[in-house]
Amino acid sequence: MDRRSFLIGTTAIGALMAAGNGLAFAQDAAEGSAPDLAQFPRNETVIVHNPEGIIRNPAWFNLWVVGGGGGTSNGLHQLTTDTLWLIDPDAGVEGASENAVYNSLADGPWQYNDDFTEMTVKLKQGIAWSDGVDFTADDVVYTVEKQKATPGMPFNGAFSTQVASVEATDPYTVHFTLNAPNSRFHTLFSVRWTGAWIMPKHVFENVEDITSFPNNPPVSLGPYTLHSFDPNGTWYIWEKRPDWEKTALGMVGEPKPRFIIYRNNITTDNRLIEMRNGNLDMVHDLTPEGTFSIVQQDSQVQGWFPGFPYAHPDPTLVMAIFNHQNPKFQDKRVRWALALMLDARAMSMASYRGAATLSAISVPPTGTHPRDYHGPLQDFLINYEVDTGTRKVKPYDPTIGIQIADMVRPQFGESVPTDEAAIRNAFGYGWWKQDIAAAEELLTAAGFTKNGNQWMMPDGQPFSFSVMVPQEGVVNRLGTIIAQTWTQNGVQATAEVATDSWDRQRVGNYECNIAWAVETWGGHPDLSFFLDSYHSSYVVEPGQSQPDRNWMRWRDPRLDEIIEKIRGIDFNDPLGIEYGHEFVKLHLEEMPNIPIMAYNVFSIQSNRFWTGWPNAERPYANPVTNWSNGRYIFTQITPVTA
Amino acid sequence: MQGYFWFVGKRALQLLAVVFFGISATFFVTHLSPIDPVEQVLGRMTARANFAPEAIVAMRQALTEMYGTNEPLLSQYINFWLRLMRGDLGPSLLAFPTPAMALVMRALPWTLGLLITSTIITFVIGNLFGGLAGYAQDNKFFKAFGIVAMGLQPIPYYIVAFILLIIFGFLWPVLPISGGFAMNVTPGWNWTFVGSVLTHSILPALSLVLVGFGGWFIGMRALVSNVVTEDYVTYAELAGVERKTIVGGYVMRNALVPQFTALAMTLGGVFSGTVITEQVFNYPGMGSLLIDAVNAGDYSLVLAVSTVSVSAVALAIFIVDLLHPLLDPRVRAE
Repeated sequence: MDRRSFLIGTTAIGALMAAGNGLAFAQDAAEGSAPDLAQFPRNETVIVHNPEGIIRNPAWFNLWVVGGGGGTSNGLHQLTTDTLWLIDPDAGVEGASENAVYNSLADGPWQYNDDFTEMTVKLKQGIAWSDGVDFTADDVVYTVEKQKATPGMPFNGAFSTQVASVEATDPYTVHFTLNAPNSRFHTLFSVRWTGAWIMPKHVFENVEDITSFPNNPPVSLGPYTLHSFDPNGTWYIWEKRPDWEKTALGMVGEPKPRFIIYRNNITTDNRLIEMRNGNLDMVHDLTPEGTFSIVQQDSQVQGWFPGFPYAHPDPTLVMAIFNHQNPKFQDKRVRWALALMLDARAMSMASYRGAATLSAISVPPTGTHPRDYHGPLQDFLINYEVDTGTRKVKPYDPTIGIQIADMVRPQFGESVPTDEAAIRNAFGYGWWKQDIAAAEELLTAAGFTKNGNQWMMPDGQPFSFSVMVPQEGVVNRLGTIIAQTWTQNGVQATAEVATDSWDRQRVGNYECNIAWAVETWGGHPDLSFFLDSYHSSYVVEPGQSQPDRNWMRWRDPRLDEIIEKIRGIDFNDPLGIEYGHEFVKLHLEEMPNIPIMAYNVFSIQSNRFWTGWPNAERPYANPVTNWSNGRYIFTQITPVTA
Repeated sequence: MQGYFWFVGKRALQLLAVVFFGISATFFVTHLSPIDPVEQVLGRMTARANFAPEAIVAMRQALTEMYGTNEPLLSQYINFWLRLMRGDLGPSLLAFPTPAMALVMRALPWTLGLLITSTIITFVIGNLFGGLAGYAQDNKFFKAFGIVAMGLQPIPYYIVAFILLIIFGFLWPVLPISGGFAMNVTPGWNWTFVGSVLTHSILPALSLVLVGFGGWFIGMRALVSNVVTEDYVTYAELAGVERKTIVGGYVMRNALVPQFTALAMTLGGVFSGTVITEQVFNYPGMGSLLIDAVNAGDYSLVLAVSTVSVSAVALAIFIVDLLHPLLDPRVRAE
């Protein structure tokens, strides 16, 4: 053999070995038997976009271990899991929920004793796991005790710090004794996005090490079971159980699709193409521009609103968050001045191309909150006065939404609503007028001086700070326009793109941060979801890691008082809304952060094969596909052709 | 021959040094990164549920102990090397407790399959046509080919990929635009699966070939343009040696030596994957795995990917060094 033949030969053998190994890996990783597409007629199959990236541990279905690398919103937590209650971020299915609260595995609401140190739950009967074993109180008790005793399980911290004991007083009644009074303990078992999912005791009690148990295939408590999945982690197929009626979701209504396919790691362009090609029925989110394009080109595609702005307002409030442990932001006059420098129209256009839902108060303008907060507080806001030190101004402008609607109408024409109520729902109830003169008066009153076009702080240094923004997306665009507006008005604000903004905001390593410090249940008026963590007892020294949401590290005894009053009443107590109003008013007085707009998500659905999707006119569910509450959608849709 | 073994020994020591320093550098860069894997996991959990602050503190402590991130850096470094000697890169923190190497081995075949194939196709097309274009400089076909090659080469890769996506996924939807294989096939040694893998790789491979062959073409044409002016080529032509022998045996063969060196380096580099290709076509591979690992602060996984990548590049250079004396008689180990 000559040298050339030897080289060619060895190269060829090497290539064959590499290819062989490659296919062998693919083969080894294939856990599910792949389906035949002929089994998936489109009138029996819904195809859903899951926003997760590539699922790195695709054969992992154990949701009861932290960071196992499996998928979550790949259908697993929408279709196979369940817990005591679910709270919808929108109105909930009429007749099946009350105030957006579904009694899921629970047969009724939570029952606390007088001082909230004990909670009793009655469970539904007739529910079974997918392997035929009955669901009982033993599963709930096991879920709590196992997680309490096992570090590395998601509710280990919550249960070990809060639960003294849990017992099944009969097969369908669970009784909790708590370490301390807690009127919101039931929220651990109330799903907003996720919650404490109930474990199948009969499966897990036989597992030696739960933290390394993949739970493949998962025994389901929902109406679907695993059919097959991609060994590379980009799709999952779920099939309806023959006994779907023995599930809590089945008791709400029959889920119509026989198969539900979740596809993940799809780029924005691919999502558009795949929906146009009929290969996706639900898309989690698009860019504003992508949404405007597809709804114009495909009349079967719908957004949340029937016309502009199309997007679904998430129960999350994007805001400019000031670090209160930084001396620059400790004077509320400075914070108010920065708020009055902003132009709501510019922020809306720059971030969402006008498709933003604004909120001047620290409650997102979503779900049922406009009914409970924005509407009732509208007169208060219109008459709200800010003392600039020179005069009193009324900064609120209830016509901002109408102005933005007028701005986008030339481009989007009839799709932009004209009715005032519709505009308020879509664009928000109003925001602050840009009032540079008032802002300057406030800064002057706070001891600032102006040198040319540069504001100087009372210590003589230029008023300059960084504005931390995420890498991309609408919040990045928003932060950039905010920094630009402040700069134009004499404040040296520099947009700083941060890849680690989550870590930095947790330890207070920022000056101003464009993110959200407010998230709510959405469909329920209780504000404890974010507000409880605002208590001053949780504020720590700069550099130390702090519980989520009070990123600004705001402390105020009046705030603590409101939080403690909320802790002292039941979740459903109407007084909760009153205390919520108190919080909003205190927030306005202090302006610890500047609430700006809901985190609108451009979720779209196609009516080509299925119809009956939720929307602003029939807001029975959140259309965003990765929320586990999305399960109720499958009971409400119907195939276009039989 | 003794000199050759001495040469091999020196190069082998260099190889070990490069691998050691490369992996050590990666270790310290990842461990000194401000991204904390514990905080990443906590962030994902607490952002979407209603946890009391005390519960978060307890969870942080449990995770820190589980991941071993509370140990001193030096101790982690020594443990890492001790484990690596046993072939164990530790558990991935992105998919705890799955071994990091298991994730790498799941992605690696796809990256190798796509990139080795497309690199070799690109190499063959670029060098073959580049060589012929350099030799037959007045040929109209090769001139036109040169214009196409030079026209495509500077176009940013993502533009080419996006155009292919629009053409073959939407305007004329004849090719799959997403995934490694179709949902209706069972992975295994059967034609249906192999055919599906090949069909799904057409668009990603085509995008890489279109953007990649121009570089080889231009390089080879320039090399051949120089070689054809050499005395031995003129002498062969005057001596009446067949044209195909002159092109294949004298001109191209001599010009290919630096190209083979570049090919080996390129093949070594494929272990890092191509992030944009994987993103645009939702194709499995190492590029997006590395990005996910970096974003999640999963230094075990970053180290696993880097160890494979650094070792592959160093090994490729080592092999080229060893082969050079065999490929080119002018190069002597001495």
